[in-house]
Amino acid sequence: MNRVRARIIGVVLALGAIAMLLPIVILFLSSFKTKAAVFVISLAPETFTLGSLAEAFTPDLLRALLNSLIVSTVVTVVAMFIHALAGYALARFDFPLKRHAFVVILGSLMIPLTTILVPLYIVVRQLGLTNNMAGLILPLLFNAYGIFLFRQFYLDFPKELEEAAELDGCGRFGTFVRVVLPLSRPVIVPLTVAFFLGTWNNYLWPLVVNQDKAFETVQVYLANLISGYNRDC
Amino acid sequence: MTESVTVRMTRTLSRRQRESLAAAAFLAPDLLGLVVFVFLPIGSAIVISFFDWNLISPMKFVGLANYERLIGDAEWWASLGRTLQFALIYVPLLFALSLGLAVAFTKLVGRAGSVLRSAYLLPFAVTSVIASTLWMFLYTEKTGYLNAFLNLFGIPDQPFIGSPTQAMVSVVVVVLWINLGYTSLLFFSAIKEIPASITEAARLDGATGWQSFWRITLPLVRPTAIFVIVTSTIAAFQILDIILVMTSGGPADATQVGALYIYQRSFERLEMGYGSALSVVMFLILLVISLVQLRLSRSNLGGQS
Repeated sequence: MNRVRARIIGVVLALGAIAMLLPIVILFLSSFKTKAAVFVISLAPETFTLGSLAEAFTPDLLRALLNSLIVSTVVTVVAMFIHALAGYALARFDFPLKRHAFVVILGSLMIPLTTILVPLYIVVRQLGLTNNMAGLILPLLFNAYGIFLFRQFYLDFPKELEEAAELDGCGRFGTFVRVVLPLSRPVIVPLTVAFFLGTWNNYLWPLVVNQDKAFETVQVYLANLISGYNRDC
Repeated sequence: MTESVTVRMTRTLSRRQRESLAAAAFLAPDLLGLVVFVFLPIGSAIVISFFDWNLISPMKFVGLANYERLIGDAEWWASLGRTLQFALIYVPLLFALSLGLAVAFTKLVGRAGSVLRSAYLLPFAVTSVIASTLWMFLYTEKTGYLNAFLNLFGIPDQPFIGSPTQAMVSVVVVVLWINLGYTSLLFFSAIKEIPASITEAARLDGATGWQSFWRITLPLVRPTAIFVIVTSTIAAFQILDIILVMTSGGPADATQVGALYIYQRSFERLEMGYGSALSVVMFLILLVISLVQLRLSRSNLGGQS
């Protein structure tokens, strides 16, 4: 009985998965079609061509990809470290104004990027960070989402390990880097995915803060390409 | 030399003081960054909202004029209504579907489970610009894949993003498609954290699957559930990039949400003062929603323990 039910659930989930993946499959297969055949409904390309893909790989695209890779990697690595530190302090340490610090951090979660898009641009311009890498990276680092999840994780983290490390003479920072951080994989893995993709995916901030083609990220490049394509139609 | 100084210093400080110092050091990078790149802009928005400014000519103080204009701006209130409409469709759907999916995932054993979870997660790796373009392509009226699929069941062509009545739901579908896998993974890990002994004990006591879901799973994934509701509501209020690429607010303003209206006023018409005033109002509305949600979740939690 249980096995039958598990099998039914499996079949339903598999059908759902196919529905989720189909758009990506269509996208992938369409990239092998000629321009004229793209709007013909068929999974398999009638005439297989690499021409459309080859045409897409311009030096501009490669530079945009590299820019996005640099921005996303730096944001992810730095964000993991500083958010783990902050989340750990909030979960473990007892200090004055702790609640206030937590409220400030949670409060920033309630401030959407679109709300501060205009003034953030003005602040970043005042700091002289427009049209360079620092302006693309710095504002994307500080995200309470990461701090919050690290804190939740460390609230349930067994204290005994840290106590043992401290007895062995590790300072707080040493304990954190050598004992706590290596055991934080369950929270670091999903957050790394989220931060990297979130930054890679970000279209609005690079669109607003950077007008220099040299620092153009891949999202802005693609959106420009698409709107240009639409204009041609 | 420095070492002995540190040793002497740490000896003279109490344990509590040392802990406070460590906390300050651990929190410093994040707090500094949040102040400069989140709270300073909010402060600036408030200041700029009292001015008339197009980024180029000098700022002109206009007092409360921007706020007076905002109150009478029917287009703004209509846009805000559409943001609410988006959130009311998106948040309940995301919550129910991702939680249901997560529970279903736990029933699967072995390799099939992890393969299926990855399949659902894959759209999360598709960036919003590409997802928008891809779905515009699928939604195409005469030659689109989705209509070809519906035609198989005898359903006539649907306009999707081409129609004022279907555009909003069509956009919600894209956002759901992107986020469903990731959100269900959050629930899945939370459910996995529940000790097997608890579920086992309930089963031995004769609890049905449905009962143990309501009495055990749901209460124990509460922190995750609250997190999902809060973050997805806030995300719904921020929705802008996908709409910017897919519909630019059309057709007939059907998808012109509040965030898009602010964007257009600020960056297309360069009305920085008015855009800032709108941003401040949007911020206050969001603040109220968040505080209400937090209060609700806290009082519920208190009632349970």
